[in-house]
Amino acid sequence: MAKYKKNNKPMEAKAAPQDAPKKASKGGRKALLLLPVVPVFFVAVWLWAWLWYGDVFTIARESSFWSSNAVLMRFMEGRPWGALWWAGRALLMLFRWPVLGAALLALMVSGCAWLVGYCLRLRGWWRLLQYLPSAAFLWYVAYIGFDLYYESEPGMLMGVPLMATAVLLMVALIIRSFSRHHTFPSLIRPPKDETVRQNRAQLLLVVLIVGATMGVTQWMRPYVRVVTTMQRQMMQEDWRGMAQTARANSELSYRQIAAYYAIALVHTGELGNHLFDIHLDYDEPYLHGYQGDVTNAANYYIPDCDLYAGLVEPAIHHAMERMTMDGPSLRTLKLLIKGALLRNEWEVAAKYLCIMEYVPFEGKFIERYKPMLRHPELVDADPELAAIRQVEPLHDNFENMLTQPTFLGYNAALSEGRSMQALYNSLIVHLYSKTMPQFMLRCQALQGQTPPQSITEGLLLMSGKYPQVLQSFPALEYNKSRLLTFMQEVKPYMGSHETRAEHAWELFPKWKGYYPYYYFFGNLKATKRKDNNAGTSNQGVN
Amino acid sequence: MNIRHTITRYQQKYILPSLGRGLGVGAFSSLGRGLGLGLLILLAACGRGAYTVPAQYTEADSIAVLYPDYTDIVIPANIAPLNFSLLQDGATSVVVQMKGEKGGELVSGGGRDLKVMMDSTEWRSLLTQNRGASIRVDIYAEMDKGWVHYKPHVLTVAEEDIDAYLSYRLIEPGYELYRQLGLYQRNLTNFDERAIYENNRTFEDEHNHCINCHNFQNYSTRNMLFHVRAQHGGTILVRDGKAQKVQVKGDSILTAGVYPSWHPSLPLVAFSTNKTGQAFHIYHPEKIEVQDEASDLLLYDAEKNEVSLVLSDSTQFETFPCWSPDGKWLYYCTANEPATPDGVQIPDSMAEMRRVMFYNKFFYDIRRMPFDAQTRRFGASELVVDCAGRERSASFPRVSPDGRYLLFAEGDYGQFHIWHKSSDLFVKDLQNDSIYALTEANSDDVDSYHTWSSNGRWIVFATRHMDGNYSRPFITYFDKKGHAHKAFCLPQYDPEYNVLLLKSYNVPELTRDAVSISEKDLRQCIYETEGTQATYKSINR
Repeated sequence: MAKYKKNNKPMEAKAAPQDAPKKASKGGRKALLLLPVVPVFFVAVWLWAWLWYGDVFTIARESSFWSSNAVLMRFMEGRPWGALWWAGRALLMLFRWPVLGAALLALMVSGCAWLVGYCLRLRGWWRLLQYLPSAAFLWYVAYIGFDLYYESEPGMLMGVPLMATAVLLMVALIIRSFSRHHTFPSLIRPPKDETVRQNRAQLLLVVLIVGATMGVTQWMRPYVRVVTTMQRQMMQEDWRGMAQTARANSELSYRQIAAYYAIALVHTGELGNHLFDIHLDYDEPYLHGYQGDVTNAANYYIPDCDLYAGLVEPAIHHAMERMTMDGPSLRTLKLLIKGALLRNEWEVAAKYLCIMEYVPFEGKFIERYKPMLRHPELVDADPELAAIRQVEPLHDNFENMLTQPTFLGYNAALSEGRSMQALYNSLIVHLYSKTMPQFMLRCQALQGQTPPQSITEGLLLMSGKYPQVLQSFPALEYNKSRLLTFMQEVKPYMGSHETRAEHAWELFPKWKGYYPYYYFFGNLKATKRKDNNAGTSNQGVN
Repeated sequence: MNIRHTITRYQQKYILPSLGRGLGVGAFSSLGRGLGLGLLILLAACGRGAYTVPAQYTEADSIAVLYPDYTDIVIPANIAPLNFSLLQDGATSVVVQMKGEKGGELVSGGGRDLKVMMDSTEWRSLLTQNRGASIRVDIYAEMDKGWVHYKPHVLTVAEEDIDAYLSYRLIEPGYELYRQLGLYQRNLTNFDERAIYENNRTFEDEHNHCINCHNFQNYSTRNMLFHVRAQHGGTILVRDGKAQKVQVKGDSILTAGVYPSWHPSLPLVAFSTNKTGQAFHIYHPEKIEVQDEASDLLLYDAEKNEVSLVLSDSTQFETFPCWSPDGKWLYYCTANEPATPDGVQIPDSMAEMRRVMFYNKFFYDIRRMPFDAQTRRFGASELVVDCAGRERSASFPRVSPDGRYLLFAEGDYGQFHIWHKSSDLFVKDLQNDSIYALTEANSDDVDSYHTWSSNGRWIVFATRHMDGNYSRPFITYFDKKGHAHKAFCLPQYDPEYNVLLLKSYNVPELTRDAVSISEKDLRQCIYETEGTQATYKSINR
């Protein structure tokens, strides 16, 4: 470097006086052409982390927990790198407002790039290298998808760049202290020695980095943004928005999407009409358990599904299991608070609310739920909680006696409910699991009514086997022609399981949402696999 | 004055824990704790003696509401300061004045968080001075319109001390999974807590294990045991301060040893061996049901490493063994398999769930068998507490050190009373056969696992009455007439500790002395030894 400077100085000195204005104007033009790349990198990462991946980071925050209180953070004591993850979790709290959290993340990531360049004294074309560690980190964050926060340490997201920034900053300060000539480069002006081509190459690299990261999230982990957006919408009780998000991505077939879609439909009263609008054949997401085992991560959605199916105690059960394994998280605590309020367990609700008071930026949540303590009438008046009350069980049973997961098993076994919604839920579960005799048995309670669309379609499908159905539901006659059209169209594919599976996709765009399509062509993977692990039912479909 | 104290409390609550512990995770632990301690001393020096009893106040017509509730209780003279929070909306500070019947005074207080954390030297001096007497407690709260004085309450200091050490397990209220947990020992005379043994802090499948059922011989820690389940499993026996791992389970035995009881003087441990099932309610306040599917009683000879079956009746569920203090009787609980109600047909597919279906038809009695220490044989069993006849169910028999009272938990059904809200503490006076509930100590919620102090005057038990979900150790005075008194919560330095702690206290056990074996030695024994297989000896009747 010193050599480089020495070589340059005489050249500058040699410049002829009459050339000076020309040079200056050339330099000015060059300065105009050059863009400060590090700030551009900052803005690009900021926009990516805020607008593109903000929901993922918001859910990462919800899956995390941080408080300045030592008792509450005791679960992190003694963990390897515990102090770092502690700090990472603290910074992650800023994603309460993704614009701020993203700004901090972008600051650290772009700051690292700048510091790498400074510490390694990168010049000219070598400057391209300074972005690579940050790029690798961003790419990794995008690549791991749900593994960023599910059954893993969420403090990593902010902890790693924090540590990298701190280490690089220390190294930079040491270099600066021992080398008088090695001054910090300007952040807002491109380096003097940078050519336009080098500058453009860096800009291109930055665009490529952010573009590639977006590509990873879009093509390799397409479900991650969809699921987290639905979760964010669920937190905001934007049930219609959740359903729209799922329908807009109806070709994605993941249990998590189906689970949150069903929750949305329960709240909008559309479960009986629209459940089969999305593809339900369940690909495996990229997701790993504690030991790196690939898992279908039923626990990702089971507590939420149990809660919104009115099964408050099973929801608490699974939330407690999560707390045991991962330590507290905002998601778990919020669910436990809602569960405790629904079960009139005021003292434990007060305990969890007190804990939430130690978590930064959760004032709104506390403001909403704290007044409900010892006021069941306020619980009943809350639209979200009241909807859960509508489908709470009338009688006790044991989870062990039900097909798993409980929210399906309970509704499959339901014989008495609090509301029509409870009956619809049960009927839809039977349609979903294709257990038609039980479905037909429960449909007797609907005689004389106009059932929701999917239930009508299920009844019509069964009318061949149970002709008396047409007498009980005369309106079914009006739907017969569509069924005939469908049966005619799919006739060539109605052979073996494999044949149906092969053609399911090509029929999907036309017949999605139509129950007979689902009955013959939907949810085939599990049927074939006889998958009985968590998240499946004994009926062979899940 | 108050502002300064508020700052002090604020710093103690937020800054010190962060320095000392919050940041103290991992590598910064020592530095953080050192800084924390230094600051603590400095701040304590500044804050101490800052409170004065207000000269002007208005009288309230009730006593103050405290968390934990430490009003009108009987306490041992050696207990740690009963720090508390005043629960009063609108109050901005609190002052407490304690005056002993035999002299002595303590004035303390709290700032905006209304937490009163007393000086332990002053507290100790006041209690020692008033042993066998009472202390009047006056509480003043500063409100918008000035100070309010609540009606005073009384702390009665008993003549008898409580054993200085309480051991327990800290674990999340149990469902199916476990992760980080440990056995800890608390010094009741101050706020020191140390880990006896903690399992792995991070999830590693090859080292993941559970620890349970710690037990001590005759209130001493020289001989103790606990179980390790899953990876590195076995029973860890500590004898004369040295740890060894043994494998009690053999072909003739259902499972490894479960509930233990050390013989008071011989190297013998009675175990139950239980095959249990767990079921989860979907709409019931009691959440979890744990049932015996089969259970027997074992006797383990720690010297010979021999195990024998004591009771093994397939129609009976024998569990919770407990020796009498003289070692001449073995008490235990037992229940019959419930009969299927008339007219109820159980399909074959549901046969496995039969016991779950009739979970509330299991009623455990307490029985006992004489034991001959010479021949090491048991005599005929006799009924001590008939619960089944009353459609009630008993668990955890514990005989008082003087041999007069049999303490047990009684609930509506089953044996897993730690989740049964109907569970209360009862005693049977073995001199006159009367059975009665410890009404003054019991709560509306779960009152279960209990232990006597070595002098028989104190009972520590696990109760969920603070929030219905997380069990906490409560202490009650058991007077010479056989009556319990209002129970109080194990004091903590920060009165809010029990709210913030997301673990339950499990199996509280009192001992006279501290556990001397180090955690390192226990870890070495657990990780580095396979465990000696106990030899099976035929039934010992």
